Amino acid sequence: MEERLYDLIFIARPATPEDEIKKVVAAIEHACTEKGGKIEKAEHWGTRKLAYKVAKHREGMYYYHQIRTNHGELITELERRLRVQDAVIKYMTIRLDEDLKRQKKLGDKREKRAARRPRRPAATPAAAPAAVPEPQAAAS
Amino acid sequence: MAEEQKQGQEAPAAAPRAEGAPSGAPSGGGHGGGHSGHGGQGGHSGPPRREGGREGGPRREGGPGGGPGGPRRGKRQYFRKKKVCKFCVEKMDLIDYKRADILSQFVQERGKILPRRMTGVCARHQRWLGVAIKRARNIALLPFAGSAAGSTAPKAVEAHKS
Repeated sequence: MEERLYDLIFIARPATPEDEIKKVVAAIEHACTEKGGKIEKAEHWGTRKLAYKVAKHREGMYYYHQIRTNHGELITELERRLRVQDAVIKYMTIRLDEDLKRQKKLGDKREKRAARRPRRPAATPAAAPAAVPEPQAAAS
Repeated sequence: MAEEQKQGQEAPAAAPRAEGAPSGAPSGGGHGGGHSGHGGQGGHSGPPRREGGREGGPRREGGPGGGPGGPRRGKRQYFRKKKVCKFCVEKMDLIDYKRADILSQFVQERGKILPRRMTGVCARHQRWLGVAIKRARNIALLPFAGSAAGSTAPKAVEAHKS
């Protein structure tokens, strides 16, 4: 199975003690190492205002992980673990690699087009030097 | 609603905020904003309606931009700014759902996704934008339509009724 990249975001209750967060993060890491996943990025976005109430909270602490794995079961496992945690009020996993693939494809296409184009811009530098001597002629 | 569209043509960036403000202030929400918009333009749209009756074009263009002087002359005066897709300009091939600051520009205050005709986003990017906004909603970065401000406003309305 090909490798896939996932985003995993979870929101913890505001004012959750730090060791409890650590426990959650450790659980994620543990599941990743067990199932053959790799954490590419781990970020803490801090406490943010929620756009709507979640579990009667208006704020939440956002934690973001990017995970690369070959095994889809890892994601179900992670979601199962997050669901059980009391500190976590919301979580979301999103598959990213398809979007990134599309981004790369479009970027390559654009580069190719840009590489093909320089014929025309070559005409303008030729015009620019021609324009420079004129003021000199006017000065003399 | 027609007035709001015209405003959008004039100033795509300013439109969402200008429109959001009236809808936020009265407790009636969208309806209140719509009515105040009609009332405000009622005076202006009176005179041009006679001339513009035959051809819909001049009234549409003249209404928001030219003020009273423009449409009276009866000729078409186009001040339509050409809208360019913001994502195409910045050459974005991926709209990140995590960038709530960008996404919120394409969403009304209450969380409705703005139509393409108002923001000038191209079809392809609007498609991606929709997906990104929906993802952001899921993780509480953006409100679902009507839920964010609505969580306090409807309660106040109910209290008034009872």
